[in-house]
Amino acid sequence: MKGVVFTEFLEMVESKFGLEVVDTIIENSNLPSEGIYTSVGTYNFNEMVSLITNLSDEVKAPMGDLIYAFGLYLFDGLGKSHPEVIQNYTNPIDLLYAIEDHIHVHVKKLYPDAELPSFKILDKTDTSISMIYTSSRGLYRLAHGLIEKTFEHFNGTAIINYELIKEDGTEVKFDILQNG
Amino acid sequence: MDSKEVTVLKKALARQIKARKQAESILEEKSKELYDTTRHLKEANNRLEDILAEKVNELDGIFVNLIDPYVVMDMTGNIIKMNAAAKEFLCADISVEKINLNSFVHKDYVEYTYNSFKSLVEVGTIKNYRAKLVITEGIEKYVEINASLIFNNNHEPIGAQGVIRDINQETEIKQLLGEQRKQLDIIVQNSPLGIVLVQNKNIIKVNNTFINLLGYTEAELKTMSIHDVSAAEDPEQRESLFQKLENGEIDNFSIIYKYFKKDGGFILGKTAISIVRNQNGSIDYKVGMIEDITHEIEAEKQLQDSENRLSKLIANLHTGILVEDQNRKITLTNKMFHDIFSVNISPEKLKGFDCVKAIKKTKSLFKNPEAEIERANAIVENKKLVLSDEIEMADGRILERDFIPIFSENKYTGHLWTYTDVTISRNYKQNLESEKEKYRSIIANMNLGLVEVDTNEIVQTVNQSFTKMSGIPEEEIIGKKATDIIKIVNEDIVTSKLASRLNGKSDSYEIDVIDAKGNLKHWLISGAPKYDVTGKVIGSLGIHLDITEQKTFQNQKEQLVQELEKSNQGLQEYAHIVSHDLKSPLRSINALCSWLNEDYTDVLDEAGKYNLKMMQEKVEAMDNLIDGILKYSTINNDTIVNSSVDVNEVITEITDIIFIPEHVKIIVTNKLPTIFADRTKIHQLIQNFLSNAVVHIEKEKGLVEIGCEETPTHWVFSIKDNGVGIPKEYHEKIFKIFQSVGNKERSTGIGLSIVKKIIDLYEGKVWLESEIGVGTTFFFSLKK
Repeated sequence: MKGVVFTEFLEMVESKFGLEVVDTIIENSNLPSEGIYTSVGTYNFNEMVSLITNLSDEVKAPMGDLIYAFGLYLFDGLGKSHPEVIQNYTNPIDLLYAIEDHIHVHVKKLYPDAELPSFKILDKTDTSISMIYTSSRGLYRLAHGLIEKTFEHFNGTAIINYELIKEDGTEVKFDILQNG
Repeated sequence: MDSKEVTVLKKALARQIKARKQAESILEEKSKELYDTTRHLKEANNRLEDILAEKVNELDGIFVNLIDPYVVMDMTGNIIKMNAAAKEFLCADISVEKINLNSFVHKDYVEYTYNSFKSLVEVGTIKNYRAKLVITEGIEKYVEINASLIFNNNHEPIGAQGVIRDINQETEIKQLLGEQRKQLDIIVQNSPLGIVLVQNKNIIKVNNTFINLLGYTEAELKTMSIHDVSAAEDPEQRESLFQKLENGEIDNFSIIYKYFKKDGGFILGKTAISIVRNQNGSIDYKVGMIEDITHEIEAEKQLQDSENRLSKLIANLHTGILVEDQNRKITLTNKMFHDIFSVNISPEKLKGFDCVKAIKKTKSLFKNPEAEIERANAIVENKKLVLSDEIEMADGRILERDFIPIFSENKYTGHLWTYTDVTISRNYKQNLESEKEKYRSIIANMNLGLVEVDTNEIVQTVNQSFTKMSGIPEEEIIGKKATDIIKIVNEDIVTSKLASRLNGKSDSYEIDVIDAKGNLKHWLISGAPKYDVTGKVIGSLGIHLDITEQKTFQNQKEQLVQELEKSNQGLQEYAHIVSHDLKSPLRSINALCSWLNEDYTDVLDEAGKYNLKMMQEKVEAMDNLIDGILKYSTINNDTIVNSSVDVNEVITEITDIIFIPEHVKIIVTNKLPTIFADRTKIHQLIQNFLSNAVVHIEKEKGLVEIGCEETPTHWVFSIKDNGVGIPKEYHEKIFKIFQSVGNKERSTGIGLSIVKKIIDLYEGKVWLESEIGVGTTFFFSLKK
């Protein structure tokens, strides 16, 4: 997993729960990397799982909600480091529609070894889009947060329904209807 | 800031520093990677440039090593460059001498070459330039050249490069093709199929077979349309197939045509039609290949006919037919089979039925169902021919069954059952037996003697009656020659009659034989030839009747008749003589009486004169009586002379001569016929009736009416008077001789008996109707 995800995650934990919690979950997770992450590095996904599990224990909040919150936070983080990507789009639906064919292609240019989820578009209109998220990580709530934040970024909201096609969350269908 | 916070911050800072160092080392690594990649790319670029250079060299080599001759020339035709093949082909080398290509061109192709070069300059390329080159004296080659211009950097043409192709071989191939075409022509000409080439319905080419099939010459055919000599058997099919040809859906098809021969006959030809299209895809030629299938079709038709006949024959056969396949499934049955077993399904529907099941279903039809099923199964199991098997049916019928296994190429493929209802012939045989028995007993017990002999007159059988008739026991007659055993007085008759039997004659004859006791017997024999089944005479059959008694009676009768004739003759002569002899004394008496009356008229008193007169009258009556007897006795067949007699004339004659009293009138009520009879006899007949009628009328006005009616066989005459009438008791008596009604002196009592005798001669009848005081009608009929 790309180091940027870890650095952003720890930044979110620090901003929301304080540096002490960051330290605690790093200590408790017993990580091979000892919690030292740089955005240009690549780290084992299991470290992220340990960090989230420990955070959930520490702050007594469900893991799904934490991942969702991370999604909301991650959008801003990524947006700040690569603003030119978002500036290419004028509305959230077009951005979502371009994830697979455009944004992920740019990611691959910088990080050829990145393991990215796939978004298969089933249907798209001017105000709605439905797509299938597929990833062995099963981090669909992260995607949920990112999508929600996308609409927020363009000063809009959307009704986002998702349906687990596979129970472990490795394949999830999103139906998104833009409000207004 | 408490110490815990400081610790956490220190730890976080330490992590950040480590993270930075980690990032820096990652970036350094990346930089090195980048540098390596750049260097690698440079090397790759250099290598590619080398390869490119090599390739260019190779390409040059390709032209040099090209198999076809390759030359580069300048704009004046001088060769600048040529490969090995070109050197060899042109037998020249530019490294040795300067060569101009124009020098090779054959003089016939100079102008063409000039024009081709011009077009090369204008267009930039030239394709398929074909010319003849003169390589050296005596060696000429056909070539094909494809060439293109070469330009300098300013796009000005500086020369041309071209590949020369040696097409000498192609030319040879053309010649070869020509030869092959000749061979093809030979094949076409000698093909057993008639072949015809048609363009726009006109015959363009035909082969010998086609000519022989139709009998026209090739020249005649070439002036004809294909429609003059042919017509499709099925015009609709032809139309649709030709439509498909036109549309390009198909290129050939096969159809049956009728071809008309020059001699007026025709043949049926299975015709394969193919088309030759031109470049536009439309049809140029049609090629027809004709196989004469007249005989095949005829044979097929005959086969079909005979199959039809066969199936009709089977269907209507008076034998029930059942064919099963090797799995005992029904493959064929006929109507008779259905009738015999009362199967209500049509023969078509019965096909494929399982016989094992079928026999179980219908087992109630058999008298002994279990035994029959077992027997049938055993026969099928054996697969051996079984003939005339008898089956008793529950309803009393008897069937005769044959089983014939069917082998095809030594393999058992099924079997045929045939069923014949033999009930009637069975009963017929029995009836025949009992009939035979009946006739045997009749023959044995009848009163007629029966003898059967063969063609050599050897006795085969006799019946009981014959042994009695002949008085010879059966065992002494059988096996002997009939004429040897029986003593026949007129043996030659028997021999000739037996001989005539051989010619199939049957008749009756009489023979005289001496029986065992020595008595003469008369036998009547009815003989008939005896035939065997093929109609050949194998002997004779005689039925004998002993007519000895009858014969004796007949002989006696013949004697009696002869005697009777003699006595009749005598009687007639006697009557004649008597009447003549009696008449002359009567005439004398009459004369003497007259004389006495004249001579002694003064002496005799009235009483004497009266007595004399009475005497004369009696004599006259006596004379009449004798006349009547004479007439009566002369009436017989011998004296009849028949001719056409008009009865009207006869009536007139009679009324002229007989005495008719004043008050009596005779009329004829209808025109009387002309009949074929003896005129004198008819005169005599009618005169008797009329004289009788007119004298017996006491009324003031007497009327006698004569009439006649016709029946199919007779003329019926009637004579009606209104006289005194005849009492009933005399109606029969009056026709007998010497009988008369009343006591008139003039009536002799002979008249009506003469009438009766004449009517008898003409096979007629006489009768009367009479009422006292009213009148009498006499009727008499005469055969036409």
